[in-house]
Amino acid sequence: MTSDPIDLETLRSGARLAGFTWSDAELEEIRPQVEAALRQLRALESVELGSTEPTTQYRTV
Amino acid sequence: MQDLVWAPMTELARMIATKAVSPVEVVRAHLDRIAALDGSLRAFITVCGDAALETAKAAEGRLMAGGALGPLHGVPYALKDLYDTAGVRTTGGSRIFADRVPTSDATVVRRLAEAGAILLGKLNMVEFAYGPEGLNPHYGHARNPWDAAAHRMAGGSSSGSGVAVATGLAPGALGSDTGGSIRIPASLCGITGLKPTYGRVSRAGVLPLAWSMDHVGPMTRTVADSALMLGVLAGYDPADASTSVLPVPDYLAALTGKIHGLRVGVLGPYFLTGATPAVRAAVEAAAQTLATAGAIVDEVKLERVSLAAAGSLAVVAAEALAYHAELLRTRAAEYDPEVARRLRLSAFVGGVHYVRAQQVRALVREEVDAALAHRDVLLAPATPIVAPTLDERQVALGDGPSDVRAALLRFTRPFNFSGHPACAVPCGFTEGGLPIGMQLVGRPFDEATVLRAADAFQRLTDFHTRRPVA
Repeated sequence: MTSDPIDLETLRSGARLAGFTWSDAELEEIRPQVEAALRQLRALESVELGSTEPTTQYRTV
Repeated sequence: MQDLVWAPMTELARMIATKAVSPVEVVRAHLDRIAALDGSLRAFITVCGDAALETAKAAEGRLMAGGALGPLHGVPYALKDLYDTAGVRTTGGSRIFADRVPTSDATVVRRLAEAGAILLGKLNMVEFAYGPEGLNPHYGHARNPWDAAAHRMAGGSSSGSGVAVATGLAPGALGSDTGGSIRIPASLCGITGLKPTYGRVSRAGVLPLAWSMDHVGPMTRTVADSALMLGVLAGYDPADASTSVLPVPDYLAALTGKIHGLRVGVLGPYFLTGATPAVRAAVEAAAQTLATAGAIVDEVKLERVSLAAAGSLAVVAAEALAYHAELLRTRAAEYDPEVARRLRLSAFVGGVHYVRAQQVRALVREEVDAALAHRDVLLAPATPIVAPTLDERQVALGDGPSDVRAALLRFTRPFNFSGHPACAVPCGFTEGGLPIGMQLVGRPFDEATVLRAADAFQRLTDFHTRRPVA
């Protein structure tokens, strides 16, 4: 889904698409955390999910 | 008066009902202690002193008139400051909501009032509950009371709840738990904290962090007090579609002290190996204590549980940003900079991440269910570490270095992800006198067994009776 490192232009585009206009300084500040988070989220890509459907909440009865 | 602030809620309720003590005396004792200590502890954001005394006088009047009494009649408590309270500001620990005054009570606040409980005030917390360390630059960092020499983290996000209960400023409190925010401060502050099953307690009128991960629950000094509070809190609420229609059992009646034959699975790799040596030793000793009392103890390995970190990140980030998007566009400068950074990061979590996380969530839930198919409860450390100092950024865990934030969340968030009930209780102290917490995890909607096991442990040990230095 993603790869790192991420350059500033990619961050700008991502923020704009999400509806935010953050300054370059604000984006640079979070760049290491974004890269770390996306590395962590890659763990989800390697899971064999088969036909598992997404959970939206715990089974309440 | 000193005894009143250390009395359990069960005992206060009994003493008030039998007229051994007046609700006014009980409330005044706690308000006096808050006035004396909270300047340094910073557990409270708002103290409702006058209102609490007025309510206590009314409660005394009803008592003397011989009217029907609720199970918490005249017993004081405090609320993490994200529960809506009619006429009393609810800040969410944020400057942005500093003047936000709800016009109605959260469902659980109303239920506590109907049970006769008296609100002392609103408690400090991490801004918008987004963080496990317990820090708040707007209202001051709540101080962990177990170390007079160093300022240690209280744990969060329910930091004020942990500190207030540990120091006798309140006999019980409500916290909320999205990744461990009840159990982490309970562990670091040496008290009991219960995260019920998702759907057991209404979240209506509670500021959300992440709707599908948020849980409401009690924080008390004894398990019996958490059982008493849960009996009042639990049950279907038409205002919260996620709540269950299952009947609410008598949780206090479940506390038999009997655990002979109780099947306890100790969570091994990931949990025990990830803990620091002192925490691991304390949890292993706790397992031995339960075994000596007749429990059948074995070790369990959960293969998928480590995925809860990535899964929780995706779910919490996406849901939190959905709630905060507009405020982040218009009032970003007023957030705690650390919370603002976490929210900005969320913009880069995609829809595919979120859905895959929800698929993984189903697998993790199935695995925890399977571990509980032939066991009654699972046992694990609540946190791998004891309370860090404010300037600690990295800690050495049993399986390598970790940043403090990830370490604090590591053992608790799998059960927010899965939705299972989990109760944290103190199970030891370090040589330096800092509390160590463990958690007992149970089957969905079987809080009664979790509480029975935790209460039995407290009957066998005295860790929950020790008092901090503050």
